[in-house]
Amino acid sequence: MTSSGRLAALSVVVAIGAVAAYVLLHRVAVVRNHPEGYVVAFALATALAALAVARARARRWPAWLALGLSSLLLVAGGWFNFVVAQVPVTPTALRVGERPPDFTLPDATGRPVSLEDYRGKKPVVLVFYRGYW
Amino acid sequence: MSELQGLGAKLSEAERAGVEIVAVSPDPNERSQKVAEGLRLGYRFVADRDLAVARRYGLVHAGGGPDGQDVPRPATVVLDRDGVVRWFSVSRNFQVRPDPDDVLRAVRAL
Repeated sequence: MTSSGRLAALSVVVAIGAVAAYVLLHRVAVVRNHPEGYVVAFALATALAALAVARARARRWPAWLALGLSSLLLVAGGWFNFVVAQVPVTPTALRVGERPPDFTLPDATGRPVSLEDYRGKKPVVLVFYRGYW
Repeated sequence: MSELQGLGAKLSEAERAGVEIVAVSPDPNERSQKVAEGLRLGYRFVADRDLAVARRYGLVHAGGGPDGQDVPRPATVVLDRDGVVRWFSVSRNFQVRPDPDDVLRAVRAL
């Protein structure tokens, strides 16, 4: 294999590996909390593919294919992480040292749950999440 | 859901008994119940179908859902026995959730 072919293969391995690693390890806090990691990996894959294109002499298509794949992932991943996944910062009703607004919501069996139920009894970890996904 | 699993897995049996984890989402009850059973963890899932509570807390990401609907901003709040906020974290990127170790530290510091 030419050095261009090796670089192209490495680029594809880095790009696909980043996707696989993120999907497999997203439950690990350090992976999940550094989503920019996959963008960096895609940028690295793109750089490797660009180098492969520059060095390609006879058989150019593997290098171009690697460049197409990695740059597509770079644009899509960067757009997702830096645009789609951003949550606008707006003021919240949460203040350390203060009680948050109380509420009453039904639990899975339909029984009402209020913060007041726990007052004087148990600390509460309140988790707001987007839903099951 | 992964942040819920992470936190639940790190709490000891005694700690699970001593603290209530209330998970608020717009999911319908039946679905949350399945999630709770699947995880086999002591969470109390409550359904905030119309996001009224998330809105009162200032925790709505307007138009942030996959179909452009409003969704909650991922947030974790630690309340002490008196219902007073001792620690909280609101995500600025919906892929990012508080590190379970940080939440645990806040719980253990109560």
